[in-house]
Amino acid sequence: MTNFKTSGFMYALALMVVAFVTVQSVFFIVKSWKRAKELGMETEKLKQTIISSALFSLAPAISILATVLALASALGIVLPWIRLSVIGNLAYETVAAENALEVLGSSLSSEVTDPTAFSTIAWTMTIGSCFPLILLPFLCKKIHSAMGKATSKSKNAGVLGDILGAAAFIGIIAAFIARCIAGVPSDGPSAGVMTVATLVSAMVFTVALDLLCKKKDLKKLEPFVLPIAMFGAMGIAVLLVQLVPGIAEMTWR
Amino acid sequence: MKTFTDKMHTWGRIWTVSAIAVLFMVPLGVTLYYNAWPEFSTLWKALISVIPIYWATAIIEVITYTPLLGAGGTYLSFVTGNITNLKLPCALSALDRAKVKATSEEGEIISTIAIASSSITTTLVIAVGVLLFAPVLPTITAPDSVIKPAFDYVIPALFGALGASYFSKHWKISILPILAGVIVYILAPSFAVGTLLFVTIVVSIAGALGMYKLGWIKE
Repeated sequence: MTNFKTSGFMYALALMVVAFVTVQSVFFIVKSWKRAKELGMETEKLKQTIISSALFSLAPAISILATVLALASALGIVLPWIRLSVIGNLAYETVAAENALEVLGSSLSSEVTDPTAFSTIAWTMTIGSCFPLILLPFLCKKIHSAMGKATSKSKNAGVLGDILGAAAFIGIIAAFIARCIAGVPSDGPSAGVMTVATLVSAMVFTVALDLLCKKKDLKKLEPFVLPIAMFGAMGIAVLLVQLVPGIAEMTWR
Repeated sequence: MKTFTDKMHTWGRIWTVSAIAVLFMVPLGVTLYYNAWPEFSTLWKALISVIPIYWATAIIEVITYTPLLGAGGTYLSFVTGNITNLKLPCALSALDRAKVKATSEEGEIISTIAIASSSITTTLVIAVGVLLFAPVLPTITAPDSVIKPAFDYVIPALFGALGASYFSKHWKISILPILAGVIVYILAPSFAVGTLLFVTIVVSIAGALGMYKLGWIKE
């Protein structure tokens, strides 16, 4: 019995998870949309948010899909699919699965054929990754109200709050940019000519498209700027690898 | 009278508890359906090597991301995961495009809608990919495939595009945290980006605060 990993039952479990995540997201969109209407926000703005967020998520979603496949040879396609649809990220799930397999005296390079080993892996992945969800009901509201108090206390709260908010966001982006410039990530290519070239291409595309939107007053194009810039930069990466042999190996770390 | 944000917290808690139930139905289902109970000692050994790091990271993640994602966005993001590489940048770009403040009620609405749309898209792309393209996908993402580099460089493409719009507006604030990040990577090339976030956020906020006090930045 080696096809138990991709049985109808496993697919049913996966579809249940997909349905849950989708219904939950739709619920929050409906509630937010209603509140937005009460506040008099423009429908166009809300629609643009949905369109641009969906487009923005396409490329990363495809790369997550690629990681599902990476785990599929050992675990079948369904369990990695479930685990990467809920909470999962590649690094966590791979490490959890590898740990469980190591204890069982096996590894991810060979197919799991024993249902007990398979269920041990499923439990390890789930228990390992569930903790944020246990914390949230207790902590989320507390953190938000503490934050609200902190920002309303300081004088010039408005301006300073905006600056610090932008600074926090820039801090996040800066960490990833720095990784592209000088890092050796465990789950991607090391910093080098390709990471910087892709990074710069994406920046140039974004600035150029933003300018185009402003100059020609193209409101309709705005939600597409980031996705087009991302896909454009990914296209440049494909072209560079094709045109300059060995460029992917030109890393400095 | 409950505010909208209070209601978000109530709904969020209910959905999060349900999510935990759904999450555990998967290993429980596998165990019961195949009558495959894991040996406790084996499971314990596997867990003991995973839990300390994962659960510590979970605490850091909840504390770091919760203030940035808004109430609805936080509950949604932690259920579907991939926060740093997808949900957070997605919410940031939506707030930026809609020109609303993250801390306002409009910001709460926009970030919730953005993260929900992102979750649906990701979930459906993975589902459709697995169901329809599973047979052909290995050739597309194989190491020698022509378009493989596109997927290798998703992160630089994503953060380059996102960074451009932020950096052009706030270039003074941006220099310090990038520099700090690069220095950390020069010293420790494989430093985890999730931990580095802490460093760059603190440097960025401290730098911005300093520049504000010195009058270098006004808005």
